[in-house]
Amino acid sequence: MWSTLRERGISYLIVGPFAIVLAFPFYWMLVTAFKTNGDLYDLNNVPFTYHPSQAAVGEKLPFRHDHWLPFGFENATTSHVSFIFHNTNYLRWVENTAVVGGLVVAITLLFAVPAGYSLARLSGRWGQSVGVGIFLTYLVPPTLLFLPLSRVISKLGLQDRIWSLVLVYPSFTIPFATWLLMGFFRTIPAELEDAALVDGCSRLKALARVIFPISIPGILTVVIFSFSLCVNEFVYAITFVSGTKQHTISAGVPTDLIRGDVYFWQSLMAATLIPSIPLALLYNSFLDRFIAGFTGGAFR
Amino acid sequence: MAAVAEARPQSRRFRDLLEDRRFLAPALIGPAALFIVLLVGAPLVLAIYLSMTDATAGQLTGKFVWFHNFVDAWHNDNFRRALRNTIVFTLASQAIVLVGAGILAHALVRPFRGRWFLRLLILLPWAAPVAVSTIGFLWIFDSQFSVVNWTLVHDLMPGGGHFYLYRPVNWVLGGIDHLPWVHVGKIQPLNPPQWLGQPTLAMLAIIFVQAWRILPFATVIFIAGLASIPTEVHDAAKVDGATGLRKFWHVTLPLQLPIATVALLFGIVFTATDMTVVYILTSGGPFNSTHMLTTWAYQTGIVSSNLGEGAAISLYLLPVLLVVTVLMLRFARRVEVS
Amino acid sequence: MPENDDGLEELGLSKSLTRRQVLRRTVGGFLVLYGGALPKVAAAGVPKHVHRQYKNTLKIIQWSHFVPAYDVWFDKTYTKRWGDKHDTDVQVDHIALAQLPARAQAEVAAQSGHDIFGHLSPQAGLEDQVINHKEIIQEVTRKVGKVSQVGFKSCYNPRTHKWHGFPENYVPDPIHFRKDLWHQVGLKPSTWDDVRKAAPKLKALGHPVGLGMSNELDSNMLLIALMQCYGAFIQNAHARPSINSKHTVEALKTMRDIYKNGMTNEIFAWTAASNNQGYLSGRLSLAVNAISIIRSAEDANPALAQNTSVAPIPRGPVQRLGLEHVMGVYTIWKFSKQKALAKRFIADLEVNYQGAFKNSKFYNFPAFRGAVHNYTRQLAADPHKGKYKVLDLIARKYTVNLGYPGFSNAAIDEIFNTWLVPQMFAQVAQGKMTPAEAAKAAEHEFKPIFAKWRARGKI
Repeated sequence: MWSTLRERGISYLIVGPFAIVLAFPFYWMLVTAFKTNGDLYDLNNVPFTYHPSQAAVGEKLPFRHDHWLPFGFENATTSHVSFIFHNTNYLRWVENTAVVGGLVVAITLLFAVPAGYSLARLSGRWGQSVGVGIFLTYLVPPTLLFLPLSRVISKLGLQDRIWSLVLVYPSFTIPFATWLLMGFFRTIPAELEDAALVDGCSRLKALARVIFPISIPGILTVVIFSFSLCVNEFVYAITFVSGTKQHTISAGVPTDLIRGDVYFWQSLMAATLIPSIPLALLYNSFLDRFIAGFTGGAFR
Repeated sequence: MAAVAEARPQSRRFRDLLEDRRFLAPALIGPAALFIVLLVGAPLVLAIYLSMTDATAGQLTGKFVWFHNFVDAWHNDNFRRALRNTIVFTLASQAIVLVGAGILAHALVRPFRGRWFLRLLILLPWAAPVAVSTIGFLWIFDSQFSVVNWTLVHDLMPGGGHFYLYRPVNWVLGGIDHLPWVHVGKIQPLNPPQWLGQPTLAMLAIIFVQAWRILPFATVIFIAGLASIPTEVHDAAKVDGATGLRKFWHVTLPLQLPIATVALLFGIVFTATDMTVVYILTSGGPFNSTHMLTTWAYQTGIVSSNLGEGAAISLYLLPVLLVVTVLMLRFARRVEVS
Repeated sequence: MPENDDGLEELGLSKSLTRRQVLRRTVGGFLVLYGGALPKVAAAGVPKHVHRQYKNTLKIIQWSHFVPAYDVWFDKTYTKRWGDKHDTDVQVDHIALAQLPARAQAEVAAQSGHDIFGHLSPQAGLEDQVINHKEIIQEVTRKVGKVSQVGFKSCYNPRTHKWHGFPENYVPDPIHFRKDLWHQVGLKPSTWDDVRKAAPKLKALGHPVGLGMSNELDSNMLLIALMQCYGAFIQNAHARPSINSKHTVEALKTMRDIYKNGMTNEIFAWTAASNNQGYLSGRLSLAVNAISIIRSAEDANPALAQNTSVAPIPRGPVQRLGLEHVMGVYTIWKFSKQKALAKRFIADLEVNYQGAFKNSKFYNFPAFRGAVHNYTRQLAADPHKGKYKVLDLIARKYTVNLGYPGFSNAAIDEIFNTWLVPQMFAQVAQGKMTPAEAAKAAEHEFKPIFAKWRARGKI
C-alpha cells in the first residue's frame, strides 16, 4: 500500500508542476478575455481578478448586480468575447480550419499508409534511402517556399481559395505521416502477415484485413499529428488566402483582431481559447484509445 | 488444376504482379513521392536558382551572380548572429523538451486519479494554433503589462501580508551570481525585467515558448513508445529482478532510444525551420539580436526585397540539417536493430 | 488476457467498446461535422454574385483600418455604391499590416492577385511590378488641384520619372500630452528642450514621457522626425546618405538625456501598441502617435481624453518638422486585367475624399489637399471641442515625406524596414556607443544600401 501511495505521490509531484506551467497561460487567457478595457489597462489592478472601471463605449456588464460572484466577476464584460462572433467571421474561420484539416488528413492517410507500408515491409535497401529522401523535404523552410508555390497556386486557379491550402499542406504532413506509419508497421511482427499469406490472402488483402485493424493506433496518431500541423500552419494560410471569409483561424485572427497599433487583447485571448479546448479534449480522448490499442493490440 | 490455372491466365498475371514486391513497393510509395517532388522539390530547385541571382521583390527571375549572395550574407554580422541563435535556440529548446517529455511520459503511463484531467491540461499548448497562442505570450511578456512581472513585483499576500516573489527569486539569482562566468543581476521592482526587450531575456523567452508548445507533442510520442513495449519485456525484466532505476536504465531507455531519436530529430527540424514563434514574439528584435536564420531570411528576402539573398540565407541551413538528419537516422536504425 | 482488460478498465473504457465501434463513431462524427460544413465552405471559395450579375470584377486588398467603422463604410457602403454605378463587383479583402509585404511579393511571384493593392507606405522597391500611375495623378489634379508635397515626394521617382504608386492619404503625427501633469511641472512640450527638462520631473511624479526606441513603426517615425527637428537627415536632396552630421549627434544626445533621466528600459521593448496602452492606462504623460490614442481614450476613458491635448511635434533648434505616421498608397500591378477600371476607382475615391475623411474619424488626410473642403470647419465640428483643429495645421505645415529633403526611394525603404535608426538611437542611449561613433557607424551601414539601389538604377 505504501508503495502505491508513494508512486501516486510521485506521479502528482512530477505531473503537477508540468501541468501548471503548460496550462497557466490558458487560465490567464480565460480571465483576461472577460476584462473591461479600463480594468485591463490599469497597471494597479490585479490581473487575476476583476475590478470596477468605467465601461467603455460598447462594453456591456451583464453581471453588474451579481455581487456574490467570486473574483469580482460582476465587473466582467462579455462584449469582447461576443465581438469575435458578431464583428468578425470567426465561425467561418473555425469551419475553414476544420474542413482544411479534415481534407488534408484524409489525403495524407491516402498517400502515407501505402507509402509507409511499402517502406516498412517491401523495400529493403533502397527503401531506406527513399525514406530518408522523403524526410529531407522538411529541411526546406517554408518562409521562402511560399513564393514559388504562389505561382503554382495561381496557375492552378486556386489563389485565394482554401483549396490552395488543401493542396499544399499535405506536402508537409505526408512525409511526417509516412515516417510515423513506417515505424508503426515495423513494430507489427511479420509473422501475422505471413500467417495470413499462408492462409491464401493476397498481399493487398493481408494489408486490409490483418494489418490495417492492428495499426489503428498508428493511424489515429497520424490523424492527430497531421491535423495539428494543419491548424498550426501560419505562413501559407496568410499569404495564399486573402479573403476574410476564406481565412483559417491562424490567418483570420491576426488580420481582424490586430488593427494597426490597436490590439484587441481580450478578443485575441478568447479567440485562442475557443478552438484550443475542444481540440485538447479531442486529442485527449484519442490518446486514451490508442494507448488502449497499444496495450491490448497485437499483443493480445 | 492445371486447366483452371490456364483458363484464367490474365487475371492471375495481374495478381502476380500485385504480389511482386518489385512492382508493389514503388506503386505504393509512388503517389506520395510524386506529390512531394512536385510540391516541395520543384519550389526547392527554384529557391536554389533564386539564391544565385539578384532577384528582388517577388520576381522569380534575375541576373546570375553565382555565389555572391552566399558570401554577402556571411559577411553580415546579423547573419552570423542568426546562425548562432538558431543553433542555441534549437538545442536549448529541444534539450528541455527531451528531458521534460521523457520524465512526463513515464509519470503519465501509470494510471492515477485525475490523470485524464492533468493530461488535458498538458495537451493544451499543442492544441492551440501556435500563431494565436504566441500572440497571447506577447501580452504575457508585455513591456508594461506583463503578468509575470506583476506577479514578481507585487504583494501577493491578500490583506497586505507583504510577500513579494522577487525577494526569494533575487536570493536564488544572487547565488547564481557567485558562479564563475555567469552574471545575472537582480530583479528591481521599479524596473522589472523586459522579457522581450533585453537580448538574453528575449532569447530565454523564445526558447521557453518553443519548448512550451512542443513539449506535449514530444510527450505523446514518448508515451506511444513506452506503451508499445510489449508486456513480455516487462515480464522478463521482472523475472530478471530488474526494477525501478535499474530497469529504466537497462531496459526502458534502450528500447525508447529509437523513438526518442526520431522525436528529437523532428523537434530539431521543426524548430530550426519554423519562424512563427520568433516572428510573432520579437520579429528578430530587440535590434536583430534574436533573429534566427528563418526570420533573417524573411527579413532580407521579403521585407527588404532582396529575394536572392534571402533565398541564399534560408538555404544555409540545408547542409547542416542534412548531416544532422543522416547521422541521427543512422543512429536510430542501429539502436533499433540491437 | 486479464491484465489488458484491467488496463482498459483503469483507463475508464468498458470492455464492450471495441475498436471497431470507436472507429465507427469517429468516422460518423467527422461526417456529421464536415458534411454540413463542406458544401458551405466550398461555395464560399467561389466569388459570390449575390444580387445581380456584374459585368466586371475589381479586387482590392488593404490593411484592417484601426477604426473598424472605416472598413465597414468602405467595404459595405462606398464600394457597393461605386460598383453599382460602374456595373462592377468590387471585392475588398483585408490583411494585417505586418503581412502586407509578404502578400505583395506572393502576388508578384504568382503574377496574379488583386487589381488594387493598398500599402501603408510608398513601395519604391516594387516599382518594376506596377504601372506608371501618372494618368490617375493627372486626372485628379485636373479635378481638385495639385498633389501635396508629401504625396509627390513619396510616390514619384525622379530618376525613372515614374509614379510608382498613387498617394491616397497620409496620417499626420501629432503629440498627445497630459495637460494636467505638464501643468504640474510648469512646462509645455513646445520644444524638445522643454521635453528634456520636463522628463525627469514627470518621471518623479510617476508619469514618465513615452518615447520609444524600439523596432517598431512609432519609434521609427518619432526618431526620424526628431532628427529632422535638429536638422539631421538620412539623405540629402540628391539621395546621398547624410546621416553623419553634427545635427545627428545633437539629436542623439537629446534622446540619450531624455532616456537617462526620464524613462526606463521598457522603451526598448515596445511594440506599436505600447505607447497607446501606456498612455491609456494613465501612466504616460507624452506620446507621439497618430490620433488612434485619443480616439481610443474617447471611447474607453473620457476623463483621460479631456485631460489630453493634441499638438504639433516639439520644435528643435533648427525647425519644427514631423513625418506622416503612415501613408496610404494604392498601386496597380502590371499584370492586372482591370487597369482602366482600377484607375477610375482610385480617381473617384480621391476626388470625393470627404466620405473617407469623415469615416476614418479624421485619421486619413487626402494627399490632394483640394479633395476635401473646409477642413477647419469640419475639424472644429467634432464633438470634442475643437481639439482636432490642430491636425490641419500639422498636415499642412509640419508633415513631410520619409526621405525628406529627397524623395522616398528603395534605399530609404530598406533603412526604414530594418530599423536602423532606432537601433542607432538605442545604442547611444544604452551607452554602447558615443553619439559621434553611432552617427559614423550608421553612415557606414547606409552607404552600401544606397550604393546597391543606385547600381540597380532606382536612385
